[in-house]
Amino acid sequence: MFKKILIANRGEIACRVMKTAHKMGIKTVAVYSEADKDAMHVTMADESVCIGPAASKESYLSMDKIIAACKQTGAEAVHPGYGFLSENATFSRRLEEEGIIFIGPKHYSVEKMGDKIASKKLALEAKVNVIPGYNDVIDTPEQAVGIAKDIGYPVMIKASAGGGGKGLRVAFNDAEAHEGFLACKTEAMTAFGDDRIFIEKYIEEPRHIEIQLMGDSHGNCVYLHERECSLQRRHQKVVEEAPSPFIDAATRKAMGEQAVALAKAVNYQSAGTVEFVVGGKDKSFYFLEMNTRLQVEHPVTELITGLDLVELMIRVAAGEKLPMQQADLKINGWAMECRINAEDPFRGFLPSTGRLVKYMPPPATAGVRVDTGVYEGGEISMFYDSMIAKLIVHAGTRDQAIARMREALNEFVIRGVSSNIAFQAALMQHPRFISGNFNTGLIAEQYPKGFNAADVPHDDPAMLVAVAAAIHRQYLARNATITGQMPGQEYKPGSKYVVLMGSERHPVVIKAAEGGWDIELAGSTYAIRSNWQFGQYLYQGTLNGQPVCMQVERRGSAYRLFHWGVQADMQVMSAHAADLLALMPVKVAADMSKFLLSPMPGLLTQLAVKVGQEVKAGEVLAKIEAMKMENVLKAERDCVVAELLAKPGESLSVDQPIIAFK
Amino acid sequence: MHEIIDQLDEKRHRAALGGGQKRIDAQHAKGKLTARERIELLLDDNTFEEWDMFKEHRCVDFGMNEQEKIPGDGVVTGYGTINGRMVFVFSQDFTVFGGALSETHAEKICKIMDKAMQVGCPVIGLNDSGGARIQEGVAALGGYADVFQRNVMASGVVPQISLIMGPCAGGAVYSPAMTDFIFMVKDTSYMFVTGPEVVKTVTHEEVTAEELGGAVTHSSKSGVADLAFENDVEALVMLRRFFNYLPLSNKEKPPVRKTDDPADRLDHSLDTLVPDNPNKAYDIKELILKVVDDTDFFEVQPDHAKNMIIGFARMEGQTIGIVANQPMVMAGCLDIKSSIKAGRFVRFCDAFNIPIVTFVDVPGFMPGTAQEYGGIIKHGAKLLYAYAECTVPKITVITRKAYGGAYDVMASKHLRGDVNFAWPSAEIAVMGPKGAVEIIFREDKGDPAKLAAKEAEYKAKFANPFVAGARGFIDDVIMPHETRKRVCRSLAMLRGKDIKNPWRKHGNIPL
Repeated sequence: MFKKILIANRGEIACRVMKTAHKMGIKTVAVYSEADKDAMHVTMADESVCIGPAASKESYLSMDKIIAACKQTGAEAVHPGYGFLSENATFSRRLEEEGIIFIGPKHYSVEKMGDKIASKKLALEAKVNVIPGYNDVIDTPEQAVGIAKDIGYPVMIKASAGGGGKGLRVAFNDAEAHEGFLACKTEAMTAFGDDRIFIEKYIEEPRHIEIQLMGDSHGNCVYLHERECSLQRRHQKVVEEAPSPFIDAATRKAMGEQAVALAKAVNYQSAGTVEFVVGGKDKSFYFLEMNTRLQVEHPVTELITGLDLVELMIRVAAGEKLPMQQADLKINGWAMECRINAEDPFRGFLPSTGRLVKYMPPPATAGVRVDTGVYEGGEISMFYDSMIAKLIVHAGTRDQAIARMREALNEFVIRGVSSNIAFQAALMQHPRFISGNFNTGLIAEQYPKGFNAADVPHDDPAMLVAVAAAIHRQYLARNATITGQMPGQEYKPGSKYVVLMGSERHPVVIKAAEGGWDIELAGSTYAIRSNWQFGQYLYQGTLNGQPVCMQVERRGSAYRLFHWGVQADMQVMSAHAADLLALMPVKVAADMSKFLLSPMPGLLTQLAVKVGQEVKAGEVLAKIEAMKMENVLKAERDCVVAELLAKPGESLSVDQPIIAFK
Repeated sequence: MHEIIDQLDEKRHRAALGGGQKRIDAQHAKGKLTARERIELLLDDNTFEEWDMFKEHRCVDFGMNEQEKIPGDGVVTGYGTINGRMVFVFSQDFTVFGGALSETHAEKICKIMDKAMQVGCPVIGLNDSGGARIQEGVAALGGYADVFQRNVMASGVVPQISLIMGPCAGGAVYSPAMTDFIFMVKDTSYMFVTGPEVVKTVTHEEVTAEELGGAVTHSSKSGVADLAFENDVEALVMLRRFFNYLPLSNKEKPPVRKTDDPADRLDHSLDTLVPDNPNKAYDIKELILKVVDDTDFFEVQPDHAKNMIIGFARMEGQTIGIVANQPMVMAGCLDIKSSIKAGRFVRFCDAFNIPIVTFVDVPGFMPGTAQEYGGIIKHGAKLLYAYAECTVPKITVITRKAYGGAYDVMASKHLRGDVNFAWPSAEIAVMGPKGAVEIIFREDKGDPAKLAAKEAEYKAKFANPFVAGARGFIDDVIMPHETRKRVCRSLAMLRGKDIKNPWRKHGNIPL
């Protein structure tokens, strides 16, 4: 076995690999860019080597520097994680030449699977189902239309080198096929420098289901069952689970066996994944592509199989035989993963960067696993992926797994940068997701205009009311402890209050009880028991004997509660105060339509207009640099510039006014 | 006897109605509560003891003798409790003669102020008044001055808080102006010496009352108001919370409230708060929130002179005042507005025995003609004076820059700082390394290599806390994560601090 390995990656996956290495008694070497010098993976490693500036191209993608780091530290093998150099055949070949072992598949397997057209041919030869389509390079739009007709509409036009949704079109008729082909070709050339295009049958109600494989260098290969990854936003996976709620044992076996056949065809020797698209109407499945690396969502497979995929990868790379056979692999319970991203779901999922002022993932307990690469006080930099952690749960059944995930999301505290936790919570209670009857279109169909706070109704608002009442009463009880009170006139909190939630008014009676409060609300009693302390972000305890966890922040005279994706501002006061509050005018938010607001935090690099200038809709107003990207802000309608409110070179916060219009 | 009691009931009923139901409805329609409703929300339930409910004005001119007299004469006065702690209150009643101040109205206010000073108890004024009762002429003006005189006498003896909940114009502004804190309600309150019409006549400026003297104007631009609230209810709820921080008088220690937050709580995320790049900003509020009890900080003047943060918090349950440079705004430098803001706050804390914790990251004073012409010399001196004069416990934590004269000003050892800590990232020097080298080696300005070497040398020598430490200007270098623990322990050590300034009639702060 290796004595020391280098992890050519960062973030949660680098930490996750190190965890297994440490468990196996293997020393670890981290590589890091200048932006990552205080990152968690650097702290976790036994040794670390700086490999250059923040930009990935000059650090995490630099083969020379990583190989040099191996030599400098004496690392015998390299685990590439996912992304970066994980599917780069040149990298694994170069390592091989240097006598360093690549913990992953052989370069020839990677090469063969790396090209979409080549891999499809291989799949056909291995008798794997492939989507009906035309597998040769298409040259002209006329040819494309002919092929599309042969296959039958709808068809999908795809760039051979495509990925991440780029260079992809769906056509329902000849005109669309003609136009789509041309558009795809241009896009593919710009994005990938490769304009080869192919056409295939478009699968309706498609589900994304993939098979996890593990092969060794002794010719063994097994499938570790499937993962359902149909919950996607713009072709990025959001939630993954294993097993799939959709396929049956026979389909599973057929898919698994085809995947193994394909792997064997390229002498595959590591962890890999064969992705299938599965028709939501008939369970027909077709090969999409093979990912020749460890995937982000591998933990769900680990939880249902009880295996450590990273450990297996390391052992197989060291020449060991797989310790199990296909018949040994059972499915134990249900696992689910939510990707926790630093992005703002309420602002079109814009990436969010900055300091993690507060970061408290739920504690790892039975059935809850958190793979994380950041820590409180750390920095989410603009240079890398926005995924900062993965929250994974395991339970006996799918319903239990969902329930556990909902609770775990409640406990996940992130402040300083925005996160997609509210969105994940909304998905976890979406009826279509719960029913298991969904496909890759669910998010786009259900949230066509993006995600809004109104998209998350609370299952039981009385819980929010009861908790707000209990918190308020606890504050009042503490007020009674203040020194310097008038003898005989000491403050005693009352028992009758009104909880205001938006325009709703809920009268409550609060009674002190052992370890908490009994809240009478609309004829029912809510027994709240908690040892919450002032200032704590998590209000944890029980409500009528059931565990409850909400996040709480005091904002002015209100309490802001976060629970199951809902954010609710609650006020608690006497009935008389509530009556008086009702007399107060409701203030409409200031009209900001006459301002150009910064859509993100960033640097104002250019103001393209002057005071008094008439601007036509679509003209450039300003440019903002954020996340190393230039964002051009254009006029939404014709207008006249009244005032410039920011100067070039100024750092802008979200919603900061830049220009005022007349 | 029965007859008298019936009359009493009748008078109480009439007094409670103020200017009558029609005017009460009009007050509500404006989004304002009545004088009595405000007192009900401010004080603990059923604790208000009203005085002078039957007081009536004595004016007979300009038809005042023909109108029915309203008992109470436009202001409700008395005392009660906020969380069991006594407070005197006056609440002007806009429904009675527009809350106009008459001689008798002023007498009522003076009466409770006199008593408040005798018993050592704060005064809260809820202002909602159209101005002087002009029918009375100079009698009303005299009334104002009587109140002013009491405001001054009470200053530094009992806390005085003004909540402006309606108009407050002309001479009337000077009573709140002399109190310790002014809170305002957005859209329904305004304060100015001369109103928009006079402004237009004299200077031809067109300005609305809200723009000229509204809550937003005064809490952000002028700094006259300390806080602005959305409506009457929020303002009163928050005023109750604010009151919890204040001692009842200058003879008392600040109040203590139970807390479960451990004094020795460490917070390791603070170790990464100060960025490596000295030109990169960070939010000092994160430090404040992570150091104080229960992450509970009551910021005052949050929208004015944002390069300086002031406010109240608690440590081990006891009130402290916090003063901090904010690197996020203008690099946290000192300028006219921030010096005045912090200087006045320091003096309030000193007057009322509230220990001061100062967090320092200051690159110096703001340069420029605007500052010099505006008198930064004298205004900056206010903060210096306030810190130097101050005898309450003073704890200072230098997180990063403490450059030049601004270092001296910010509660340095030399100004009788009791405990002065520095984080390892602290740089206590006359100025930043670059600027220093450009001056010392100005003849080498054509030799960038030499300058760079000298800059590195200067940085190595002075960009650390050790030079100051060697001289005892710093008592200890502490790790950021232990800041709460070390500050709590220092405060505990200083509980018995007793120093006195030499006797004098009063000092001469550079006003």
